[in-house]
Amino acid sequence: MITSRSTPDAARSAWPPGLLSGTPGNLLGVLVASLACCAALVDASWLPSSALRVVTVAVAHGGLVAIAFGWASTTPPQWRPLVPSAIFILILALAAAGACWDPRAAIFYLASPLWLAVLVVNGRLAPLGLRGQMPISGTLLGLATGLALGGHLLLAAAGTFGYRVRTDVQVLVAIAYDVGANVPSSELFFRGALFNRLQRRWSFAAAVTTATAGGLLRYLVDPLLPKAPEVIVGMLLYLTLLGVINAWLLWWSGSLVPGLVSALVFFAAYRMVAAV
Amino acid sequence: MIRGRPAVGLLVLGACVVAIALLAADTGPRSASPWRHAYALPVLAGALALGVVGGSVTALAALMTQAPMLFVRVEAVGLGAVALDELASAAMLLVLGPLLGSCVTEARRQRERYATVLAVHETLADERPLAHILDALRRRLNDRLAAEVTLAVRDGERWIVAGSDAHLFDRAVDHAAGEFLPDAADGPRPHRRLSVPLCVRGETMGVLTVERVGELPAGERRALAALALHISAALENARLVARQRRFADELADKVRAATDRLEALDRAKSVFVAMASHELRTPLTALVGYSELLATREFSPGEVRRQAEIMRRQTRRLAGIIDDFLDLSRLERGEAPPLRLAEVPVGPALAGAVELLGGPQGARRIVVDCAPELTPVRADPHALERILVNLLSNALKYSPTDTMVTVRARASTGNVVIAVEDAGRGIAPDALPRVFEPYFRAPDAVGRAPGSGLGLAMVKSLVEAHEGRIHVESEVGIGTRVTLQLPAVP
Repeated sequence: MITSRSTPDAARSAWPPGLLSGTPGNLLGVLVASLACCAALVDASWLPSSALRVVTVAVAHGGLVAIAFGWASTTPPQWRPLVPSAIFILILALAAAGACWDPRAAIFYLASPLWLAVLVVNGRLAPLGLRGQMPISGTLLGLATGLALGGHLLLAAAGTFGYRVRTDVQVLVAIAYDVGANVPSSELFFRGALFNRLQRRWSFAAAVTTATAGGLLRYLVDPLLPKAPEVIVGMLLYLTLLGVINAWLLWWSGSLVPGLVSALVFFAAYRMVAAV
Repeated sequence: MIRGRPAVGLLVLGACVVAIALLAADTGPRSASPWRHAYALPVLAGALALGVVGGSVTALAALMTQAPMLFVRVEAVGLGAVALDELASAAMLLVLGPLLGSCVTEARRQRERYATVLAVHETLADERPLAHILDALRRRLNDRLAAEVTLAVRDGERWIVAGSDAHLFDRAVDHAAGEFLPDAADGPRPHRRLSVPLCVRGETMGVLTVERVGELPAGERRALAALALHISAALENARLVARQRRFADELADKVRAATDRLEALDRAKSVFVAMASHELRTPLTALVGYSELLATREFSPGEVRRQAEIMRRQTRRLAGIIDDFLDLSRLERGEAPPLRLAEVPVGPALAGAVELLGGPQGARRIVVDCAPELTPVRADPHALERILVNLLSNALKYSPTDTMVTVRARASTGNVVIAVEDAGRGIAPDALPRVFEPYFRAPDAVGRAPGSGLGLAMVKSLVEAHEGRIHVESEVGIGTRVTLQLPAVP
């Protein structure tokens, strides 16, 4: 039974932060300018075309992660996201450059999850759903989701279009790219940052619809993913399901780990699909 | 089992869908398997058992297992009748599952809402104090709504709040008009919070605040607003019943007190009648006896004078008792005794009163301490004499014969204060506040000395008629002091 008023808490009254609060506008401006410069230099044949690929990977995925870091840094205890974002972008750029030079250098993509792990241990990414402890049941559910969707993809692709499963080195390169760039940037931004921020203003349905639509759009504009019509139609279905389920897993478990696991497993299966 | 454990239920239904998919996969690419209709069973079961989630997930699973075969068939035979029939079956499941599941979910929600309303009315029908009822209601609502509930109700100028979170209390008081916060705390999952005012006849009497980790959809918010109306009405009923009960209790107390007072008055009057008869008979007996003696016998002139003096004294006593009765009657009618005010010197008035008290024996026990230059008082001489005689007579009656009674008179800022002190047994503390009540006699005084219980009541009414004041102090075993204050002549 309470009969007296408590002292107002200023931190609580400022919650939740603005929708775009913490967006690193300066860093994004620099990234976009770098991309434009690189594109111009490649167009003028001063740089090889592979340079544009490297910068695109670093700018696109690094930009999404930088926004996610910026949004996470607005939640107390506040921190400066510029250096962690720059390091992540640098890792992506180096890994992408290495992969262009030698596919085996794609292993450098694995440095970005390590950097994320360092930030998780320091408690920086808790607002994005990445904390020290791992939810066992949620992670198992994420694994089951990834296996179910990936398995269905493999079976359906083999049954309908006669695609076979490939296991060559290119698959490993693609998986390394997913582990280091594709999946972390998608999950950190679209689920950990965007969905998380939207669901604190809107209903779950509205937040998950917006975040999933954003994820699909990112897939459609990603030049490094396959663009065959039947693959795009199929991927829209799978990525929609994956987006909705991953958002629900984050909502249910409060952790981004299940979503990361399901996305990694699914994309691993996706990379193994090869047209006959 | 499915309803109790949704995850297990979904797994069972998923297994059924996979089994049906395996059975349906036997047919060739040119014909649709009749097993495809069996998908309806897990979809219906999912919708009925698990509501909209079960229906939707099972329908989606059915579609996902059918889709590859459907694509193969479309590729083999084109978009013909067979493929269209299979597409229609799949689409039907995709509509049926969520639709039926929504109906089931909504029906369950309605049932829960009715049960919650019933719980509210049951709890508020309790007869315990409001704070306890609110706390009980909060606990029941916590269970039923699977949320943290705070109930704040205005009780006059203060708030009675049932809730465990001080911040919720603040929000409840600040947002009595009602509001919805999509996220009220910076936890891993959003804390939806809804505050709904509790209104009766357009007046806000409190606020219901519901906070849940998870969704609080618009439909449920509307239901909570309706629930707040029920709570308001039930609270108002509970308040009215409590007020009525309190009023009835107060009335019963008043009736009981009035009855007790009347009974006490009746008993006192009975005692008074017995005592008055005795008091009247004593002087009458003396008068009758001496008058018969004088009428029937011869006495010397000295003896005749002595008997006449006794008869005169008894006649004055009789007149005094009758005066007391008349004053009492006037007092009970609420009338002030008639006064003829004049300047009365206090010293002679005290001396006269002492002289009236049974001659030299009584007078020997009285010490008069009166300043010679004392200002006269403005009083009715006869009334002042009755006042002093009553006080001195009481002091003499209720103190041992070997002790002295002192009467002091002093000036005091526009007044004259007269105090009569004795060294008697004193008055018990519980009897002291009642000594000025008519007919009242202290229990230990009854039987020790004759008295009507009217003397001090008369004294008080006479002193107040003079715009004076009187009070009594007493200590058991030490003595009693009665102090009266009368206005001095300016």
